[in-house]
Amino acid sequence: MLPNPPDQEWKKGSAELLVLSLLEDQPRHGYDISKLIQIRSGGALRFHVTSLYPLLHRLEKQGWIEGLWVEKAEQRRRRYYKLTPLGLSELRAKQKSWKDFVAIVGRVTGMEHA
Amino acid sequence: MPDWKSIIRERIAPLRLEPTGEANLVEEVVQHLEDCYRELRSGGAGEAEAYQSVLSELDDLYPLQAGLQRSERMPKYDAVPAGDIRSSGFVEGIWRDLRYAVRTVRKGPIFALFVVLTLGLGIGANTTVFTLINTLILNPLPVGKAGELAGLQTKDMQSTSKSGVPLPISYENLQDYRARNQVFVSLAGYTSPRVLTWQPAGPAQRVFGELVTGNYFGTLGLAPARGRFFLPEEDSTPGGHAVAVMNYGTWQTLFGGAGNIVGKTLRVNNVVLTIVGVAPPKFIGVNAIFGPDLWIPAAMAEQVLPNEMQGALSDRGKGIFEGVGRLKPGVPRERAQANMAAIAADLARANPAADEGHTVVVLPIREVLFGSNMGGLAPVLFGGAALLVVVGIVLLIACSNVANLLLARSAARRQEMAVRLAMGASRARLIRQLLTESVFLGLLSGVVGLLIGYAGLQLLMGALPGSANFVTPKLDATVFGYALVISLATGFLFGMIPAFNASRAGVSEALKEGARTTGRSRRRVTLAGALLVSQVAFSFLLLMTAALFLRSIGRAYDMDPGFQTKHLAVFMTNPGQAGYGTAQTKAFYKEVRERVARIPGVESVSWSANLPLWSRVVNGLQVEGRQQRSRADKITTVVNTIDLDYFATAGVVLDHGRDFSALDRETSAPVAIVNEKLAHDYWPSGDVLGKRIQLPGEDRMRQVVGVVRTAMYSNWGETPQLCVYVPLEQNYSDSMVLYVRSKADPDQLMGPVQREIRAAGPQILVGSPRTGREIIDGGLFQAKMGVTLLTVFGLLALGLASIGLYGILAYAVNQRQREIGLRMALGASQRSVLGLILRQGLSLVLTGVLIGFVAALLAGRLLSGMLYGVSATDPISIAGAAATLLVVSLLACYLPAHWASRVDPLEALRQG
Repeated sequence: MLPNPPDQEWKKGSAELLVLSLLEDQPRHGYDISKLIQIRSGGALRFHVTSLYPLLHRLEKQGWIEGLWVEKAEQRRRRYYKLTPLGLSELRAKQKSWKDFVAIVGRVTGMEHA
Repeated sequence: MPDWKSIIRERIAPLRLEPTGEANLVEEVVQHLEDCYRELRSGGAGEAEAYQSVLSELDDLYPLQAGLQRSERMPKYDAVPAGDIRSSGFVEGIWRDLRYAVRTVRKGPIFALFVVLTLGLGIGANTTVFTLINTLILNPLPVGKAGELAGLQTKDMQSTSKSGVPLPISYENLQDYRARNQVFVSLAGYTSPRVLTWQPAGPAQRVFGELVTGNYFGTLGLAPARGRFFLPEEDSTPGGHAVAVMNYGTWQTLFGGAGNIVGKTLRVNNVVLTIVGVAPPKFIGVNAIFGPDLWIPAAMAEQVLPNEMQGALSDRGKGIFEGVGRLKPGVPRERAQANMAAIAADLARANPAADEGHTVVVLPIREVLFGSNMGGLAPVLFGGAALLVVVGIVLLIACSNVANLLLARSAARRQEMAVRLAMGASRARLIRQLLTESVFLGLLSGVVGLLIGYAGLQLLMGALPGSANFVTPKLDATVFGYALVISLATGFLFGMIPAFNASRAGVSEALKEGARTTGRSRRRVTLAGALLVSQVAFSFLLLMTAALFLRSIGRAYDMDPGFQTKHLAVFMTNPGQAGYGTAQTKAFYKEVRERVARIPGVESVSWSANLPLWSRVVNGLQVEGRQQRSRADKITTVVNTIDLDYFATAGVVLDHGRDFSALDRETSAPVAIVNEKLAHDYWPSGDVLGKRIQLPGEDRMRQVVGVVRTAMYSNWGETPQLCVYVPLEQNYSDSMVLYVRSKADPDQLMGPVQREIRAAGPQILVGSPRTGREIIDGGLFQAKMGVTLLTVFGLLALGLASIGLYGILAYAVNQRQREIGLRMALGASQRSVLGLILRQGLSLVLTGVLIGFVAALLAGRLLSGMLYGVSATDPISIAGAAATLLVVSLLACYLPAHWASRVDPLEALRQG
């Protein structure tokens, strides 16, 4: 049994951050991204294809990631996404504001551990 | 593995994504789903379970829809084609329009059939005429680089400015032109096609032969289809090389395309000719219409030509050639003209007896392709242009007919258009759709038109004597291109007005109108009426022109040609070509006369050198006592050599003096009989008898002993010509025409007379047997052909216009059913309703007739020169055309009017 999924609103706000973070170390294709999110969240976070790909396209349109069709021998071509420099600085900004947000929420709710 | 691709495509179809983006997205998502599926399966899930699980990924489409930015989606303007919502690009749009057009056509097959037949007739008529023009005017000489070729003709100095009748060039002069000119790469000579007697094992046959110089084929740049052309030495020794090149068509028709034709021998005019080659297909000589069966080297002139042409190779006075040359690169025709004229002037100084007063003209090759006696290119161009105008009118009528139909239909489709406009379709889009529809119909009609055009061509060529000698117009790429262009243009033309009209439909207005169109759109009816009036006007113009020519031909048949035609039959013979000597020939003439005179039903028999209406003129008649202003001032006259009883047999009236008699012999005093025209022109005071004249080529004066009525000699309806008759005994000829006067119908005599001629001379060819009636038919052939075409096209136009009239009235009645019902409910009688609709139709017709009449009066000025004895405002023609048109259009109006009067008021009102 999966743990209770977090609220949709949370997921929506954090989706961009999740995708950008996963692309920080290496380019990945869509399935890879959705798999990683599912595995690392222990199944708590899951993106449907109908949400994931529009998100990827939107990030690409904003210039944060770049999609590229890559062809490998003996394999079908796949579309890989990598982080652009603009995307990297956006990621940094988002990470920082996420940390700040979590810290503020922690301070307000008294849940702060540090 | 399930077919994810089609599943996804189906799911996202309603999103109307831009196609390239969509394809990429589909590919990405498909891979994603496939990976999921594979993983689930390898994790132990069953097929159905895995499928359901993966499919659930697609359950919620909203994020996809919301997530994709608007720019990735197609604008939603395209409401026209139902069923297929993806779209992109112009080409795909056209393709979609086309598919839609095909569906529309399939929905209304009767309408489409009508349109295609109507336009097909118009396009077919155009194709037929264009094929003729393409063959005769645009592409008349199938040789390489025809533009470099030029024709060479001798002309009288005085007549050069008036483009007088060209004279042939003598062989000697031609040789000088060839040797001395600096402007031609090569210059060749050819004669007109001459009748030759081919003597195969069976009965003799007539063939046509042309003498040509050895370099003829080389100058034209032709390659033989079989064998070879002439070698230089074959044209150097007179009579030395009895060889010939055969016409491709002759090879095919007379010899069945036999493979062993090269090396075959033919006995022609008693000379055995060896065929050395076959000319390429389609080539029939330097003539657009008629060509020979054989080309023979000029050096064979003495052997092949009739005896009066003997000496043609050495006598500068005997011209038989026309010239054709290939100009050196970069030499304009004007320079060639100057160069050749200078040579001609030298020749005239050196040989005044033959050449004084003559010069030479270098003509564009097109000018010489229609034979010098036909008047060159101008009448052909005029005829071609006139025919194009006529068939153009027929096509316009067909177009306006179809446009009218579409207008009527557009009323029915008004709602459809309004709905589309309301749903966001743009006007341009609707117009494009409607135009695609009409252009599609135009193209279909083009295909039908090509078939009709081909049939028309066959019909037309069937009217010509079929032989390898005539040009055969063919449908080629140019014709197909032409048909394509006019089909497209036609589609635009008849589609334009209805398309703009339909797309103008006011949305709310049309929708409010509901399913029933009660009120008439005034504009639409006015437009249709205008189209109809112009149709009627054009039909009237064509009909009246046809009527004028028909009457003119009727008059022409009634003309008195100066000889009798009712009881006349003629037969051409050529004993010289069968190898007969003088004595033998004379005996033959005598025997034939005796034998034929014994046939029951023959009234009299005689010989004459000239076929009726085929006389050639000679130049250089001298009249004693007349001052010749210069050597070039020569009298041109017809000369006919005749046997005893000729005037009685031919029905030429002897005015005064005496006929030739058995006493006018070779040894007696030379005599001649002249016609009234000559007598009147040179002895106006009337004392002709006893005066003396000298014929060209003769050294003795002849005494005029009689005067006969002037007749037609060369053409039907010609302006009177001078004519001199001389007795056969005093002017021997080895080819003569037998004239037979019958007591009753000459048709009965055709067989028996030919049998008697064959009995008298078994090897002698009897050519062109014909009756007097056939002689006139032949003389009026072109005119009749013209009238036939005009009548056919005129009737076609009338038929189309009546169908149009019928269509528009039937439509109007249908639309006004409610109004008519109301009228009748209020007490209008059937008669008054009938009258109402008839008035509506006939007022259009009368307006058309009036406009057509004015146009016909204007056209009449152009035509008056071509009419025999009928004025261009001939009341009978006008009345006839108008009556035909009114009767037919009355019929076309009557049916709809009749229906209207039968409208049941209750029924009509209930519908409303």
